Amino acid sequence: MRILLVEDEPTLRAQLREALTSAGYAVDEADNGRDAHFLGDTEAFDAVILDLGLPVLDGLTVLKRWRDAGRTMPVLILTARDNWSEKVAGIDAGADDYLTKPFHWEELLARLRALIRRAAGQASPVLRCGELQLDTRSGRVTLGGQPVTLTSHEFKVLDYLMHRPGAVVSRSELTEHIYAQDFDRDSNTIEVFVGRLRKKLPPDCIETVRGLGYRLVAP
Amino acid sequence: MTWGRRAGSLRLRLLGATLVTLALALTGAHVWLGGLFRDHVLRQFDISLTQQLDQLTARLVLDAQGQPQIDPNRLTDPRWARPYSGLYWQLDAMGDDDQLRRGVLRSRSLWDAELRLEADALANGALHNHDSTGPRGETLRVVERSLQIAEQPQARWRLMVAADTREALAAVDDFNGVLAASLVALGLLLALAALAQVGVGLAPLRKLQGALQRVREGRAPRLEGRFPAEVQPLIDDFNGVLDRNAEVVARARTQAGNLAHALKTPLAVLENAARQSTDPTLAPLVTEQVALAQRHIHWHLARARAAATGHLPGQRTPLAPLLDGLLRVMDKLHAARALDLDGGDVPADWAFAGEEQDLQEMLGNLLDNACRSARTAVRVRVQREGAQLQIAVDDDGPGIAPEQRAAVLQRGVRLDESRPGSGLGLAIVVELATLYGGALTLDSSDLGGLSARLTLPAAA
Repeated sequence: MRILLVEDEPTLRAQLREALTSAGYAVDEADNGRDAHFLGDTEAFDAVILDLGLPVLDGLTVLKRWRDAGRTMPVLILTARDNWSEKVAGIDAGADDYLTKPFHWEELLARLRALIRRAAGQASPVLRCGELQLDTRSGRVTLGGQPVTLTSHEFKVLDYLMHRPGAVVSRSELTEHIYAQDFDRDSNTIEVFVGRLRKKLPPDCIETVRGLGYRLVAP
Repeated sequence: MTWGRRAGSLRLRLLGATLVTLALALTGAHVWLGGLFRDHVLRQFDISLTQQLDQLTARLVLDAQGQPQIDPNRLTDPRWARPYSGLYWQLDAMGDDDQLRRGVLRSRSLWDAELRLEADALANGALHNHDSTGPRGETLRVVERSLQIAEQPQARWRLMVAADTREALAAVDDFNGVLAASLVALGLLLALAALAQVGVGLAPLRKLQGALQRVREGRAPRLEGRFPAEVQPLIDDFNGVLDRNAEVVARARTQAGNLAHALKTPLAVLENAARQSTDPTLAPLVTEQVALAQRHIHWHLARARAAATGHLPGQRTPLAPLLDGLLRVMDKLHAARALDLDGGDVPADWAFAGEEQDLQEMLGNLLDNACRSARTAVRVRVQREGAQLQIAVDDDGPGIAPEQRAAVLQRGVRLDESRPGSGLGLAIVVELATLYGGALTLDSSDLGGLSARLTLPAAA
C-alpha cells in the first residue's frame, strides 16, 4: 500500500515516514502544498496523510482541488487544529478522517488501515478469501488457521490483492501501489513475488489473466 | 437601564420647558389683551360721558333770577329721570373764596343724594376725570368741567356727569372670560403640538433603543438603520466600537489558536521521539508530560476563547446546519463503528444566542463522547422552551453510574483511561454553557446509555 505523507515539519515527517515504512507502507513525501497537490494529482495512492498548515498552498485547498479533479483516494487530515469548526471544514472539504496532534501511533495506523480497507469496500479488519485470512491489524496471514510466513514484499502484494478479491489487478497497478515514487520500479520483480506467493498459497489462488494482470480467487 | 427612566426625563425636560414657556406667554397675552380692552372700553365710556356733558353744557341756561337751569324735558336719555339709574349729573357752584356749594342742580336720578367730588381748580372749560362712589355705593366714572357763564362772569360752576361703570366693566369681564377660554384652548392645542413634536423629535432615540435591544438580544451584530444627522455620528461611533471589539476578539482567538497549534507539532515530535528511545523511563515520562501539556493547551485555549466571546453582543448561530456539519464529521470519525446517527428534525429558525465556535465545541464534544460510548446508535433531540434551547444527546452505550456523573463533569476526569481523549470534553462543555447562562446535566437515556442534556439561551 502506498501512502502520500504531507507534513512540513521535518522531524515529525521523518518520524512518520519511519513508522509508516516499518508498518509496511510505501511512503511518498511532500513538505509543501504545491508538491503535495502535484503528487496526489498524478500518482496513485492508497491513502494520504495531510497536514493542514502547509507552506505555498494550505492543506484544505489541496484537498478541495483533488476532490474537484475527481481524485477519490482516502485522505486523513493530521493537524494541530482541533476545533470542531476546523474538523467540519476538513470533512466537508472531502477528508475521510481527522486526527489531531499530538497523536498516538496506534491510533494513526489503525485509522489508516481502516481507511484503506473501507476505500476498497472491505468492512472487516480481517480480510478473507476462502481459507486464506489476512488480519490487517496484526499483519498476520493464515491459511486454514495455520500461519503463513511472508517477506515484506510478498505481504505487500498479497495485501493489495486481498483488498480487491475477484478484481483484476494489473502488474503496473501493483507496482504503483507497492513502491514509492523514487523507488527503481521493475514490474518483473512483481512476477517474482507472485511466483513465490503461489508456492506458499494454495495453487490457482492467484490467477493470471492474460494480458491484463492478476486476480485473487477463493480456492 | 430602562428607556422609561432616562429618555422619559429627557422628554419631561423638553415638555416642561415648552409648557412653562407656553403658560407664561399665554398668561402675559391675557393680561396685556385684557388691559388693552379695558382701557379701550373705559375710553369709549369717557367719550360717551363727555358727549353727555357737552349736551348738558349746551342745555345750561340762567333763569330770570340768574339761577342756572337745565330743563329736564330737553334731556333725551330716560336714565336722567329714573332714580338711581346709574347715570347722573350735578352742577356745583364754586365761590370766589373757594366756597363750594354742592348740588346746586342735580339730575332727578340722583334723587336725594349728591356727588361728592373734591374741589379742584380747573381752567375754564377744561375736562377732568374722576372715579367716585355713587348713591348706592356703585363705582362711578365722573367727568367734570369748569364753566363760566357769559351773563355772570364772576360766578364759576362745575358741571359733572357720572355713570355707573358696572355694565362696562361687566363687558370687560365677559371679554376677559372669553379671552381666557380662548387662550386656554390655544394653550391646549399648542401643548398637544409640543407633545407631538417631542414625540417626533425623540422617535429616532426610540428607534435607537430598538436597534440596541436587537444587538443585545443577538438578533443583529451592529446598530442598523439610518438616523437623523444629529444622532448618526453616535451610531457610527458605536458601531465602530462594536466592530473593533469583534475584531480584537477574533484576533485574540486567532493568536491563541496559533500558539496552541505551534506547540502541538513539537509535542507530537517529542512524544514520538521518546517512544523510540531505549531508555525505559523516558518514554512514559515524556508521554505523561506531553499529555499534561496538551491538556493545559486545550483547556486554556477553550477558556480564552469562551471568555473572549461570551459577552459579545449580536450573536446568533442557527442550530440545524451546525448540527448537520458535526454529524457529518462524526459519521467519518466513527466510520469504523457504523453508528446510527439520528439528528432529528430541527426547525430552521432555531438559533443559539452565542458564538458559532462555542456551540460547535459544546455539541462536538457531547456528540464525540456519545459516539465513543455508543454501541449502535446516537440520537440528538432539540426542544425549544421559551428563551431556551434544550439539546439532548443520547447514546445506547454503557452509560455512567449516577454517583460518577458529577465527577466526569470535572476538569481532567476520565472514566476510561485506556481510550484517547484529554478528559476535558465535558468540563469544557460545562464551562462554556455556564458562560452563556446555560447548564449541562447527565441522566440515563431511554436508549440505555447516557443522556447529556445541554440548556442554552435561544436567539430570537
